[in-house]
Amino acid sequence: MNSLLETQRRFTNYVLRDLGQVSAVEGIKGNGLDAKQRLAIYRNNSQLGLTEALRDGYPVVNKLVDTDFFNHLARNFIQRYPPKAGCLLSFGANFADFIADFQPAAGLPYLPDTARLEWFWHEAFHEADAAALDIARLALIDPISYGNLGFSLHPSARFLVSGFPVLKIWQTNQEGYEGYGRINLDEGGCQLLIYRPELEVIIAPLNEAEHLFLNLLDMKLTLTQAVEQVITKDSIFDVQQSLQRWITNGLFIDFFINN
Amino acid sequence: MAHVQQVFTASTAIPVSAGIGLRSQHYRDVLESHPNVGWFEVHSENYFGKGGAPLHFLEKIREDYPISLHGVGMSLGSADALDVQHLDNLKGLITRIEPGLVSEHLSWNSFGGDYLNDLAPLPYTEEALLHLVDRIAQVQDYLGRQVLVENPSSYLEYEHSTYKEQDFLNELSRRTGCGILLDVNNVYVSCHNHSWDALEYLQGIAADRVGEIHLAGHTVNRVSGKDILIDTHNQPVCPEVWALYQTALQLIDTKPTLIEWDTDVPALSILADEAKQADSYLGASYELAA
Repeated sequence: MNSLLETQRRFTNYVLRDLGQVSAVEGIKGNGLDAKQRLAIYRNNSQLGLTEALRDGYPVVNKLVDTDFFNHLARNFIQRYPPKAGCLLSFGANFADFIADFQPAAGLPYLPDTARLEWFWHEAFHEADAAALDIARLALIDPISYGNLGFSLHPSARFLVSGFPVLKIWQTNQEGYEGYGRINLDEGGCQLLIYRPELEVIIAPLNEAEHLFLNLLDMKLTLTQAVEQVITKDSIFDVQQSLQRWITNGLFIDFFINN
Repeated sequence: MAHVQQVFTASTAIPVSAGIGLRSQHYRDVLESHPNVGWFEVHSENYFGKGGAPLHFLEKIREDYPISLHGVGMSLGSADALDVQHLDNLKGLITRIEPGLVSEHLSWNSFGGDYLNDLAPLPYTEEALLHLVDRIAQVQDYLGRQVLVENPSSYLEYEHSTYKEQDFLNELSRRTGCGILLDVNNVYVSCHNHSWDALEYLQGIAADRVGEIHLAGHTVNRVSGKDILIDTHNQPVCPEVWALYQTALQLIDTKPTLIEWDTDVPALSILADEAKQADSYLGASYELAA
């Protein structure tokens, strides 16, 4: 059967999964070559294109494992999770989870979180734009309501908690980085906020209390509700300073008062 | 935040001159140096994100230049259902950018919801023709405008094809009202790979249906003692393709012409030089016709 559907089924199985080469070449003209060689050009183009798309999204992972290992990783990933749309913006979303389960990468335990950081960066880069909250609007609020204030975070905001110093790993593997290249994995983990107030993606390290505070605000808790929980972690947490920092840095785009 | 519709001072229509494929490496350079090219073309899918730098720069550049949207992921020829989300994203981008032209490929790239990220070849059969006619009609209805459909580079052909590629394209255009995007490098590449006659191909194309021409570089691969040309877009247009382009201009008339170079992207000035060369042929062709 050479229907369009059958032709495309066989072609796709071979190109993406290396399956059914014999039936895939059915109906293909050799014209001076083996039909298999012609089909293989498409397999190579597809694999190369998708591997480069992954490498573009995960440049630090690529640097950490070297090109050959990355290619091997990508090949396995593509077979298991080929793109689900003609637009590749969402392709590679679960690469971090895949790496975590990929036995040959088990010796690099910080790799999945590094990949998560890169994906959050990619998501933040393409997220919707939103203007920062206008401070003048806050000035109009009756101080009596401050405790009932809550905030909407920028749509690009993502939080990452890692047991590894992934921000340092990310920074030392950026193009043009000239600092000290060795990282002590024993120095411990980090809590990160990734967001894009304007055109540039920002990765901000947070201490535990501030990470909790911003997460609670993101869950639409009011200042009073959030602070109640945060002071159990850090009894001298400075709410005002934290709010000022994140209002100035464009993390909040709106507020509400929950009376 | 709702998007505020921008008013662009540059015209919408793509002029009959040379344009350049716009790549992210060149955003700032284009805005600062304002190169003397007629228009820019982008890959639509690169602007399907909700916001951020890509859309920001595209809108800035659109203020000064007409833009053409060229898709690589619609999968017009797939037996799969059309991806409505994809169409929706494209429609949103069209509203936002007001492009002069919107184009896609005579190919397919998905099966069962899995995407190849490559432009796969179609058998040129009656079944495929009817399918494509239906799909292109759906797309044009949804977008509310004409699309151009580009001849692909291909590395294999099917024994059960009953149409020549150029006849297949003409027929699609005749039945759906879509235009033809004639990629002269693809004509050269496919004709070489399948031992077709490039002149016959160009003579066979319905000249009045062509709305745009593409030019690009390709790579020669040696496979079992035979040269196979691969459409890599990673180098200058070769002399043979420039010659074929001049023949196309004589046969088809002058058309907006794009320089495509999207792998190992060089400095903007090199692309501008390629565009200048295309412009010189377009100008010479005008003079011949005058």
